Amino acid sequence: MISIGQLPPEYGGYSSQQNANALPSVQDPDKVYEAMTRQDYLDYQKNYRGFEDGLIDKAQNDTSLIDAARTDSANAMGLMSGVSDRNASRYGVELTPAQRQERRRSLARANTLGTSQSLGDARVAQQEANQRQLSDLINIGQGVNRSSLSQMGSAAADATQRKNAYDSAKAASKAQTYSTLGSLGSMAIMAMAF
Amino acid sequence: MSSKPKKQDYEASAAEKTSASVAMADHKYFKEKYDPLLQQMRDESLTDRATDRLRGRANADTMQALTKPSYARAAGGADGGDMAQAYLGQLGIANTSGKEIQNTMQTNVLGTARGQAADASSGMAQASRLATSSALTRAKNKQAVADAKFTAVGQVAGAALAQGLDNMGSTGERDTGKTTPDGKPIMEKTQGGFFSPTNKEGQKVKGFKNRLAYSEFFS
Repeated sequence: MISIGQLPPEYGGYSSQQNANALPSVQDPDKVYEAMTRQDYLDYQKNYRGFEDGLIDKAQNDTSLIDAARTDSANAMGLMSGVSDRNASRYGVELTPAQRQERRRSLARANTLGTSQSLGDARVAQQEANQRQLSDLINIGQGVNRSSLSQMGSAAADATQRKNAYDSAKAASKAQTYSTLGSLGSMAIMAMAF
Repeated sequence: MSSKPKKQDYEASAAEKTSASVAMADHKYFKEKYDPLLQQMRDESLTDRATDRLRGRANADTMQALTKPSYARAAGGADGGDMAQAYLGQLGIANTSGKEIQNTMQTNVLGTARGQAADASSGMAQASRLATSSALTRAKNKQAVADAKFTAVGQVAGAALAQGLDNMGSTGERDTGKTTPDGKPIMEKTQGGFFSPTNKEGQKVKGFKNRLAYSEFFS
């Protein structure tokens, strides 16, 4: 496997002994381009393939917003009850048992309402976030696909052109051979006749 | 007859060579400088740092707006519910915004790695919108109204108390209708009560018109 920077100079790779300010000398751009393209793909596989697979999976199955809303709701009641208690003790307020009970009830009611609202909101937000990420990923994939098709189209066109050139050259060579043979034959006949 | 083709006649021009050299140098520079940065961004996008930061901000906003010490709320004891709703609403917005930032960052990283366009903004500016979520505003308004009511009641009660004390401090002299042996009228000192003052003539001031005249409000 050839990687950029390891290309021997005879294949067009640059030499590491070159002056840092000087441009690397590229003897064979074709080979260097081949090495660059290959190395880029290997780098992508090593550094980003797993990441990409993870994103595709996450865009389809992520529930982190809903999970967070559940956890937050469970914590909110205790937290706000503590805030109310501290506020009451700061002013030395003594609530009657009935007031305390009403406060608990009111807090629980509000918490239940808050929980259902935040869970509902989280579900909508989660769906939207996943959908948007999936669309973005599909756009990226579509772009990559477009580039690949264009690259492949170019390679196929080059191959066809080469094949045609080869066929033409072969035909021309054959024609040349026959023509030479014909010339030689006619020269021989003429030599024997006269 | 023409001579054999020479290899040097088919060599790249100086411009082509330089162009290839620049391309090579730029590619190498990109690999050395930008690729590690992109990998750093990839790793960063896998953490929940943006969400944590926004949650911290949301928490601070909620607490700052809704936990100002207040005797009225302490005595009422029913403000925890509004706070819980506002708190959950704020955290929900923080989570959603954090997720959006994370997702944008991730697709940007992948888009760049795959040679596609990346969106330059991270969406962190959304953090500024957190402070004005409807739940927090609603709870804040509710608290402001409750505080204003409490203050108004306090002001009215204070004014009534001050006026009552003022009334009690008013004094006058009332003619008892009796006279002294030397013929002088016997006067009796009078003092106002809490709800009605006494005028100079020692009479209780009663009725709206008399009270208004006594107050000298329009004089």
